[in-house]
Amino acid sequence: MSVVAHLPHRSLSLTEEEAAQPPSMELTGRRRMSPADRGLSQTLYEEFHQDPRYHEYVLGCLNCGECTTGCPAARFYDFSPREMLQIAATGDATTLWDALQEKIWSCCQCYTCNMRCRFGNDIAGIISVMRELSVRHGLEATRKTLAPFGRSLTLLMTVGTQVSADMIQPDFFRDWGPFATGSDQVWGVSPEVMRKAIPLDVLQTTRSSWEVSVQTSLELFRIYEETGVLDMLRGLDPDLTEMLVDIIEERREEFREAREKYRDELITMKGPVASFEG
Amino acid sequence: MNPVLVVGGGPAGLSAAAELASLGAEALLVEKEGYLGGNPKRWHYSLLAPDLKPAEEVLGDLLGKVEGNPRVEVRLGTSVTAVDPAPPGFRVTLQGGKGPEGREVSAVILATGFDHFDSRRKFEYGYGRYPDVLDFKELEGMIHDDKVLRPSDGKPPKRIAWVLCVGSRDLQVGNPWCCRMGCVVSIKQAVEIRQKHPEMEAFVYYMDIRTYGLWEDLYWKSMQQYGVKFIRGRIGQITLAEGGKRLLATGEDTLLSRPTEVPFDMVVLASGMEPGQGTKRMAELFHLPVGPEGFITPKISDINPVDSGVPGLYLAGAATGPKAIPDSVTEGMGAALRAYQHARR
Amino acid sequence: MLNAAEIKKVLEERTQRQRGTGKKVTDVREEMLRLEEKGELLIHRIRPENRPVQMQTLFGWNKKIPTDRLWHHKSCGQCGNIPGYPSSLLWVMNQTGRRYLNEPHQTSCTAWNYHGTATSNPVALAAVAARNFHRAYETDHFPLVHCGTSFGDYKEMRKLLVENAEVRHKVREVLRGMGRDLVLPEEIVHYSEWVQAMAPEIVARRRFDVSAVVATVHEPCHYYKMVPEDAVYDEAVYGGQRPAVPTGILLSLGARVADYSTWYDCCGFGFRHILSEREFSRSFANLRKIRPMVEEAHADVAITSDTGCVTTLDKSQWIGKAHGQSYLLPVLADVQFAALAMGAHPYKIAQVHWHASPVDHLLEKMGIDWRSAKNEFMEYLKALKNGTAPELLHAPRAEIEQYFAINKGQVLPVEEPSVASASVSPGNGRVSS
Repeated sequence: MSVVAHLPHRSLSLTEEEAAQPPSMELTGRRRMSPADRGLSQTLYEEFHQDPRYHEYVLGCLNCGECTTGCPAARFYDFSPREMLQIAATGDATTLWDALQEKIWSCCQCYTCNMRCRFGNDIAGIISVMRELSVRHGLEATRKTLAPFGRSLTLLMTVGTQVSADMIQPDFFRDWGPFATGSDQVWGVSPEVMRKAIPLDVLQTTRSSWEVSVQTSLELFRIYEETGVLDMLRGLDPDLTEMLVDIIEERREEFREAREKYRDELITMKGPVASFEG
Repeated sequence: MNPVLVVGGGPAGLSAAAELASLGAEALLVEKEGYLGGNPKRWHYSLLAPDLKPAEEVLGDLLGKVEGNPRVEVRLGTSVTAVDPAPPGFRVTLQGGKGPEGREVSAVILATGFDHFDSRRKFEYGYGRYPDVLDFKELEGMIHDDKVLRPSDGKPPKRIAWVLCVGSRDLQVGNPWCCRMGCVVSIKQAVEIRQKHPEMEAFVYYMDIRTYGLWEDLYWKSMQQYGVKFIRGRIGQITLAEGGKRLLATGEDTLLSRPTEVPFDMVVLASGMEPGQGTKRMAELFHLPVGPEGFITPKISDINPVDSGVPGLYLAGAATGPKAIPDSVTEGMGAALRAYQHARR
Repeated sequence: MLNAAEIKKVLEERTQRQRGTGKKVTDVREEMLRLEEKGELLIHRIRPENRPVQMQTLFGWNKKIPTDRLWHHKSCGQCGNIPGYPSSLLWVMNQTGRRYLNEPHQTSCTAWNYHGTATSNPVALAAVAARNFHRAYETDHFPLVHCGTSFGDYKEMRKLLVENAEVRHKVREVLRGMGRDLVLPEEIVHYSEWVQAMAPEIVARRRFDVSAVVATVHEPCHYYKMVPEDAVYDEAVYGGQRPAVPTGILLSLGARVADYSTWYDCCGFGFRHILSEREFSRSFANLRKIRPMVEEAHADVAITSDTGCVTTLDKSQWIGKAHGQSYLLPVLADVQFAALAMGAHPYKIAQVHWHASPVDHLLEKMGIDWRSAKNEFMEYLKALKNGTAPELLHAPRAEIEQYFAINKGQVLPVEEPSVASASVSPGNGRVSS
């Protein structure tokens, strides 16, 4: 008897909507997508291929595997830069969609693959393009992946440094041991005093990596506004974005007050301070 | 009739000189090194692929037609340092042991060949620092002398890996072209070693195997008869393992899609072909166009690969691109015929 | 096996071809000159008063390393959790009489965030880079980049700004909106290159014999894998097959540098992994880096030259106890090691107490009396707690600088700099396999 006779008749198990999907879904064993996701995956696919960086970063592949050789993520995850490049170069909308759910976040961005690639592909770069895409569209998986970054994002957007001493809390970084967190149990003084013992005045704060002047933070925020970063963040987390805008409004107010306070000194100065309208 | 100048004493140059002599013309064969035979001689090539005939035998046939031939004047340790047109031929200056010497020649054949890629430039492999990382031209000499031993401790290796395309098909070292020879020569070496030393294991790391035409037979036999193992994927780095006693070759097995890390006693690099120093110098001296790769570009490469486009100036062998010995010998003959026709006119 | 003349030839022959075009990689600095002539940007030049020293890059091109009048481009990671890194650097500058600015008018490069969360884009990154470049330019101090990732990012952004007219025009528009303009530094300089350039002066001030110390080097990925042609190489360091920094300073100081099989691997930082995939970071750091360093090379210390690498390699080890691996290999930046060898206070200056793996036995091996230094530091902490003013390496910022990036407006002379040439002198140090 023919083997084919044992295969289930495909249309029996499908709804009308499912039956309208291309059969490749079933045959490749991928999980089914909702019609909304299917539509979105098509949009993402088109946007991805229209990105001006796409043709610059993805050139072709000899499948030598030298990229994967040095890849740290390939040793611990079901991930390889060669596979990512293949998905970018030859994958369809569904393949791309699958990669955007989780795999893109395995990459360590160490650029070992780029240095190794004998074909000149920018693999780390194309992974970043995929990540940007998933952020811009606020994919659910991406929102979950980036959930732990609210605090460092806030710091980065409003001050311009990514880490602060008060982020390295013993309860969150217990695996780093007692010394790394400058715990008062070890030294018997508060974190503020530990920071005072650093011989650089701008580092003597626990709230950011170093003290950043208000003007500098405002310049940075302006860059974010004018280069689409703020809009991008809005797609990912509208509430966080509104909070950032509020914080910056306060910083702008602070700047305006300081300008009144230091009016006389500022008048004698030339350059960006005089012309900068925060 | 003035002699025809043949620059380069490798297979293409020897073939050209021999052919000129057989046509009844005089050949002036100039070679910058102190011996004839080119790269095969220099690196003591062992058996030549694909017929597994000893290199000495093949070269011997060619040398026999040149050495002692009254129509061939051989000048070793000599370079061409200047050239002026003297229609229908050229006036050239030769620089040998005794200072410059002017000569009138009726035509010129450039058979200046290739250099093996210097594998130190692919520094992920530690060639030049780790003694047991060899270039395959060095292994040729070892096989030839039947002394396949690890340079570090003089012991026979148990496991040997070949890495193909070193300095070929690689933008990172500036050489995007294929050397045409790396696959077949590496496979031939693995076969030779497995024939003589079946206790040694042979692994070939490749991205594609280009044993084109009838050479495919050797590739098949290497697996069927000699148990050579092929792993699809390139080695990305070689480091020391086991306290420096062995080499650790890291790559991806691209068919299994997993990184691999395997200790070897010896790793052999199939270094590619680059335009030879002589090729670069002659291209400058004769104002010949070179391609982005640095090889000389023939006037019409498809139907007349030996014509440079300059009347009386012909090309043969690896000066115009990576080439196997039979192709170089054929081009030597073609160039000789064209030079002869020019000189007779 | 290697002779110096041959190595030099190999270094000079090293070439690479550009992606897409297959043409040989061109020097972005030459295109910068053309764009400056066309009025599209300004070049922040290295001047005689920057006392430049010359080194060679991957392709044998020259790179000028300024050693004086420097603008510290701090690292958010260093300053945030390994403060001994910047303080050692500034201390060495004080010891060697170098002038610098350490201001609050600098943002981070923001590339950590980009590589971790992708909540940015290359135009924004380029604008941030150019904003910081311009600030350095207007103070007439040459930017010195502390972080490996900032260095990598700034190399990439300089290339992008030179090669992509659209990005360049957009960034210039943004900058002009805040009273700034597009200025690109003649060289992107990593602090470890400065340390190497200063090797003769550092060695001359060495107070402790470090010849008993076995060091393994972790080469920061973003130092040499991003825009590889800007990294410096020297034939004295692994025959020019690996970057000259930070190995060079260890050799110059006379330490023993030991090789290990995974030298090429990344540290496991991963940008997002270090915060939200820590089981990955610490597994990778312990299994792929620390274990080979200890078991193959019997290292006393791991030396590196980037924020993320020090963090990952150091902080990942403590938890190893839970898996029965307790290597506790000290991890330091090259400049911390150099400062310690020069007699810097291990706690007040090198701030070794922020490091997760204890540094005590390393200090002992270097001949440094860490016990009395530690007691002294404990006393200092008590005094600070009681309101004593902290000891500082330079005058603190003025109050107005908390708000405004004031422009000191120096006049710049225009002369061609005279350039000294530097190469790694191995000192008593040696590379062992």
